Amino acid sequence: MAELPTRSLSLTINGEAIGPVDVPEDLMMIDFLHEYQGLTGSRLGCGQGICRACVVILDHDDGTSEEMRICITGAHFFNGKRIRTIEGHAERDAAGDIVALNPIQQKFIDHFAFQCSYCAPGFVNAATVLVERLQRDPLAAGELEGAIEQALGEHICRCTGYVRYYQATRAVIEELGLAKEG
Amino acid sequence: MQHPHLSRRAFLKGSVAAGIGITIAPLGSRAFAALFESRVTATPEPWASPGGARFRIDAFSKVCGGKVFARDIRARDMPGWPRQQGHAMLLKANRADHAYQGFELSSLDESLHPDRIVTAADLERDGIAFPDSHGPDPLLPQGKTPLYIGHPVAILIWHDFARYRAAKNALKFRDDLIRYGAATGEVERPPYGSFRYVRVGGDTPFAPDEFSSLKDSDLFPAIKNRRPVWPDDPSLNGDVGERGLYHAQRMAEQLEQPPENWEVFQARYTTPYIEPGALEPDNGNGWFDADSGELHFVVATQCPQEAARETALMLEGSRFAVRHLNVHPGYTVGYGSKDHNIFVYYAALAAMYGDGHPIRLANDRFEQFQSGIKRHPFDMDYRLAVDRDSLKFQIFRAHLDVNGGGRANYSASVAAVGATAAQSVYYLPRSDLATTAYPSRAVEAGSMRGYGTLQTMAATEMMVDELAERLGVDPFALRRANLLEAGMKNTQGAIPGGAIRVGEILDKAERHPLWQERHERRDARQAEDPDHLYGTGFAISQKDFGTGAEAPMASVEIDAAGRIRLRQIAIDMGTGAATSQAMNVLEVLGRPADDIKTGETDWSELALETSGNPYTMSQDEQDRLSQTPRWTPRLASPSSASNSAYYASHATREAARLVFRHGLWPAALSIWRQGIYGGQANPYVIRLEDARWVEGHLTANGMTPLSLATLAAKAHELGLITGASVHAFNRWSWASAEFALGEERSRLPLDAVAVKYGDGADDDKRRLMSSHGYHLLDRQAMRYPDVQLNNAHVTYYSPVATLVDLRVSKGSGEVEILEHYSWVECGKPIVSELVMGQLEGGVAMGIGHALLEHMPLYEDGPGNGSWNFNRYQVPLARHCAVWKQGGEILPPLSETDPAKGMGEVVMIPVVGAIVNALAHATGQRFRDLPVTPERIQEALHG
Repeated sequence: MAELPTRSLSLTINGEAIGPVDVPEDLMMIDFLHEYQGLTGSRLGCGQGICRACVVILDHDDGTSEEMRICITGAHFFNGKRIRTIEGHAERDAAGDIVALNPIQQKFIDHFAFQCSYCAPGFVNAATVLVERLQRDPLAAGELEGAIEQALGEHICRCTGYVRYYQATRAVIEELGLAKEG
Repeated sequence: MQHPHLSRRAFLKGSVAAGIGITIAPLGSRAFAALFESRVTATPEPWASPGGARFRIDAFSKVCGGKVFARDIRARDMPGWPRQQGHAMLLKANRADHAYQGFELSSLDESLHPDRIVTAADLERDGIAFPDSHGPDPLLPQGKTPLYIGHPVAILIWHDFARYRAAKNALKFRDDLIRYGAATGEVERPPYGSFRYVRVGGDTPFAPDEFSSLKDSDLFPAIKNRRPVWPDDPSLNGDVGERGLYHAQRMAEQLEQPPENWEVFQARYTTPYIEPGALEPDNGNGWFDADSGELHFVVATQCPQEAARETALMLEGSRFAVRHLNVHPGYTVGYGSKDHNIFVYYAALAAMYGDGHPIRLANDRFEQFQSGIKRHPFDMDYRLAVDRDSLKFQIFRAHLDVNGGGRANYSASVAAVGATAAQSVYYLPRSDLATTAYPSRAVEAGSMRGYGTLQTMAATEMMVDELAERLGVDPFALRRANLLEAGMKNTQGAIPGGAIRVGEILDKAERHPLWQERHERRDARQAEDPDHLYGTGFAISQKDFGTGAEAPMASVEIDAAGRIRLRQIAIDMGTGAATSQAMNVLEVLGRPADDIKTGETDWSELALETSGNPYTMSQDEQDRLSQTPRWTPRLASPSSASNSAYYASHATREAARLVFRHGLWPAALSIWRQGIYGGQANPYVIRLEDARWVEGHLTANGMTPLSLATLAAKAHELGLITGASVHAFNRWSWASAEFALGEERSRLPLDAVAVKYGDGADDDKRRLMSSHGYHLLDRQAMRYPDVQLNNAHVTYYSPVATLVDLRVSKGSGEVEILEHYSWVECGKPIVSELVMGQLEGGVAMGIGHALLEHMPLYEDGPGNGSWNFNRYQVPLARHCAVWKQGGEILPPLSETDPAKGMGEVVMIPVVGAIVNALAHATGQRFRDLPVTPERIQEALHG
């Protein structure tokens, strides 16, 4: 049998060093997480980078973070990089049980924001990136709705009509004081 | 929704089908989680308080990316499975006008060739009996013409992911894999179903009908040349069919030559071919352990009971010698599209041919568009006659053609339900509704949210609004003049259940500023913004919930510490059914269920058996069968048809009531009567109707509040009833029977009851608990609803109305929804947040239906495998006026109102409201959906 070309991949996922692992050169990151790491929370929606159910957070060395659509991004792009997936946000105890959610997760459940939840990981990650950006650089209250629209507006949810995702995200930002009056 | 499909097996009992034992442990259930080292659904803090649900019962797992979907599961997640996960894909023909002559994989590198290829010849050789209801030809044999574009011809299986992925990438989007022979044209077949519903009411809406489906019969045509044919000259003296058609013909004549004071409106409406777009694509993952004869099967389905039963029957006589089937349904989402879905059986077959490897068959989005169940396009010819003086509707005639695609699914039923819903909120003294579902070479259509009623009721609201304009009357006045009120009959001659509160909704909507100020607002905005046209529209609908053969099951048990365990047949599809069912227990037992298992099918304690078809059996057959003490017309319902809030709740609440009435209540009396002279209870009169739960404690007429734990301990000590398992049947009315509970004999809206006694039960009671740990009660004086009630077609309704404010770009024709507001009446909501979530999501889906979503049906459509979300626009937040929308739930008439299903109706009125708003903005009436920018440009400038 002909060998499929592979290359070594090392990265950090949710604070844990992974690899080196030999994986196919053209493997998409979503397949690496699903089939090699058992992390299936980043969901395959379209495979085209359209729906954003697969979004993870890429952490940069300068302290900034950004969304990445991993259904259209090769696994090897992430070599040496740090990402956070939906599985990594909540604080867990030694037994692995959840102790606390991140503020976006908590507000999403308080607001009944999702239904089937297939898209929820993408929304959590996108909203988390927004909150982190605003923590570095707060905005004027009048710009808040626009900022949320820009951050979440391309994400597809077929169940909810988006209302509670948006309201919950706004509530987090307001409660953290990241939208300044005046 | 109606699901009048025929069972191919006449007898099923308990959880054994075809001699193959079935166990179902849903993903996310504690039973399943117990198989794992980590509990994926453990909720680290209480999800409910006495005041209600704090969040969804599944919230933590879902928001943390837990493995809640079948799609999330791989072999290594499953205890006992081999760790190497194999994968499969379906190879499909993308032409349906030539004979299929085999396939060609020679372009594939030899190292990537599948480890196993399964074709029709394999199924034939191995004795696979694919479910009749999904036949014929699950894999197309060579020499035959595909029934539809995308017809599978083979299952390709690889034993590892890397080769599967590389091979699939090499094979996708290839047109040269399938060999075709001679041109044959499309396969021609008769309609999937054709029906007619004729009603001629009496002198008043309350008088007996002259003719109707319920009083007389539905009507059925002859089929000639694949078209329905009705008699030319029916006689009033003929049989029931002829009489009905006689009335239909008289109506047609009168519509052609109406009295002078009638306005006869006629219009044709069409609706698009829609992709449900459930974000979890169809998938299944199975491992056949040949040594033990067990098939372990993780699957995404709305109907795990049907999936399990049909899988067992499929494999019954095969060479594989399957002895046991373990089915694990996940939390899922489908909007109907995972109900009665053929994909389940392809996935099960892939597992059977895995040669010992677990095999996962999971659609990507292209494949989901190519093969997933679609919404039926409707072509509707409506005529409505109205008396100009009284504004009363006189005759409604609707003839519907429905495109069911290439494989028989629920098309006949969708066509029927669409027709019988077309009347919407209106009383129609005479009506003639004819509907036919046709096959075509399009990808199969089936169940999808709304189930035909979206198409017909949206058109009705577009028609009524236009008619009001034509008559020069206020559209609310025209609606009010024709409302179906309590006690009036629907178009099948049945009286809807309970109060009808459509008038209240109309009052609220008419007073809303969006409506009151619509003209001034439009004119002012247009003066400021000459590039856009502004408009406001309204529509209202009421939709059935349930199928006419609902069979809910539930059991409620309470242990001596007061922990409540609920088992339910319903499955959660994102709507929150698990949460709401757990909350149902709150009112009766003082707190929600602590543990809920959904998707349960092991109801052995009830020892039920079934036979016959509940939709088509004769009264004589039902009378005869109901003499059998454990017979029921239907064992189990799928989770569909907005059926959890009312029907599933019925079973949960009835089971909880039995535990309360015959367990906790007598336990409370026992405690309150402790001491001399009857204790604290003696000076007072204690009645059951005085019982109240206050902050989790039971009191009645001033008695000391008692905690659930105290009561449960006492009930167990006294050997009272601490658990109840129930089955019910509803054919637009509940079956009922008498049951002896202790010394009491009660008529209950149930057809099977089994109870458990507490730990302190004496030997006599313990001996009675011989039915899988329960005491199975013998029912007496069983009453099933008359089979004629099948012809009611619906008696349960929930209404919703929506106001929409929008603007249209004069240049591009683009529509922007600026604001919308809705009202829903759903009895007493179980969890208001879940109801509002359904409303918000339904409105979004309706916006897509009205403005955005459509696909070609045939060669350029989804069957060719090239469709995805890049070219199929589902609504995004910016399409939904996400910051400027509102809604309200009408307060229940009292706390005794039932919870009514509303998951489908919420998406309907927004469609009519948008089209009516477009008319307000542009002066143009649009009758073909979706109303795309191109259609608007043509209307404005063409």
